[in-house]
Amino acid sequence: MKINLLTFLLLIVVVSAMFLGGRYLANRSQPAASAQITGDANGQLAPDFELKDLTGKVVRLRDFRGQAVLLNFWATWCPPCKEEMPWFADLQQRYGPQGLQVIGVAMDDSGLPAIESFAKKLGVNYLVLLGKEAVAQAYGNVQFLPDTFYINRDGRIVAHVQGLIGRKEIEERVKKALGDKVAGQQTAGNAATAAVKTGTP
Amino acid sequence: MNARTIRLFLFAPLLLATCAAAQSVTPPTTGGAPNASQPEVTLLPMEPVKVTVGKSASFHLSFQVCEGFHINSNAPKNPDLIPTVLKLSPPGEMVTGKVAYPEGQLLTLPFLPDEKLSVYTGTFQVSGMVKTTRSLSPGTYRVRGKLEYQPCSDRQCLPPRSTPLSFDVKVVRGSSAHRANPPQSPNIHN
Repeated sequence: MKINLLTFLLLIVVVSAMFLGGRYLANRSQPAASAQITGDANGQLAPDFELKDLTGKVVRLRDFRGQAVLLNFWATWCPPCKEEMPWFADLQQRYGPQGLQVIGVAMDDSGLPAIESFAKKLGVNYLVLLGKEAVAQAYGNVQFLPDTFYINRDGRIVAHVQGLIGRKEIEERVKKALGDKVAGQQTAGNAATAAVKTGTP
Repeated sequence: MNARTIRLFLFAPLLLATCAAAQSVTPPTTGGAPNASQPEVTLLPMEPVKVTVGKSASFHLSFQVCEGFHINSNAPKNPDLIPTVLKLSPPGEMVTGKVAYPEGQLLTLPFLPDEKLSVYTGTFQVSGMVKTTRSLSPGTYRVRGKLEYQPCSDRQCLPPRSTPLSFDVKVVRGSSAHRANPPQSPNIHN
C-alpha cells in the first residue's frame, strides 16, 4: 500500500512536470508577435513585432514605447493609401518633436526598390517597414488597406480605422494618441504647419 | 505482468495526451473586415461555346464586379496599379488566342481629384478565340482559367486576387457547323 501511494505521488509529479514543460515549449515556439488583436482593437495592447526597414535594419514596435505611434498598413497598388501618405508626412513633421512616430508597413510584393521609389515620390519622411503576413495576422488579419492603428505612449491602441478618412479626422486621432502632452504644445506646432504644403482632402 | 507494469500501461497514454494538449497552440481569432475572403468578381453563367473541328470560334465571358467595388482595367493609367488579366488553360488539342479586354471606364475618386483611374465596374465582357486541331474528337471540353484582378472601393483596397473560372466548349463535326450557319439573305443577289 505504501509503495502504491509513493508510485501515485511520483506519477503526479511527473505529469505536472511534463504539463508545465509542454506549456513552456509551446510558448517558446509561438511567433514573434507578442499578442493577437481579437475583436475591437481599441484599448488592446498593440502586438509587438520585428520588421525590417528599407535599409535592412530590424525595427521593433517596443522600441517606440513612450512615443505615440501611427501604424499604417499600406501598399503601392492602393490609391487611398497613396492619398494619406503626404498627410502622414506632414503629421510626422509637425508632431514628431512632441513624440509622434509614423510607421508605414508596406504590404505588397512589389519589392524593395519599388516601395522605396514610391515612398520617395510621395515625400515620405517617416519610417517604412517591409510587412509580413504574420504581423497583418497579429493586427486582426489586416486585408483591407489602408488600415491604421493609433497607439498611445503606453503601447495601447486608442483608435483603429479601416479605409481612408479625412485629414482632420486623422489628426484628431494622432492628438488622442499623443495624449495630454500635446495640448500645450499645439501652438508651437501650428507655426511649423504653415511651412509644410501637402495635398488637402 | 506485475501491478506496476499494468499501472504504467494505463498511465502512459494519459501522460502523452496531457503533454500534447499543453503544447498545442490555440489558433488566433481574427477580426478581419467582413467579406474579405470572398471574391468581388464572378463569371456570369454562359452557354457552351460551339466550335467546329479544326476551326476557331469566339467566346465572350461576362463578369460581374461586386457592387461598391471597382477593379483596374487591363490597361490602368498608373503603372503602380495592378491590371485585370484573364489566364486560360485549354485542354490538349485546343488553343485560346489573344484575349480582348474592354476599355476601362475613367473614374475619378473624391479623394484623388487629379488622377483618373481606368476601371471596370458592374458587368464587363472579355472576349477571345478558341481553336481546335483537326484531330480533336467531337464532344464537350472544359476550358479552365482564372481572372486576376485587384479590387478597391472608393476608400479601401483589397490585395490582388483571382477568381477561378471554367467554361465549356462544344466541339462539333464540320457538317453540323454548316447547318448552323445562318442562311444568306434572299435580298442579296449577284
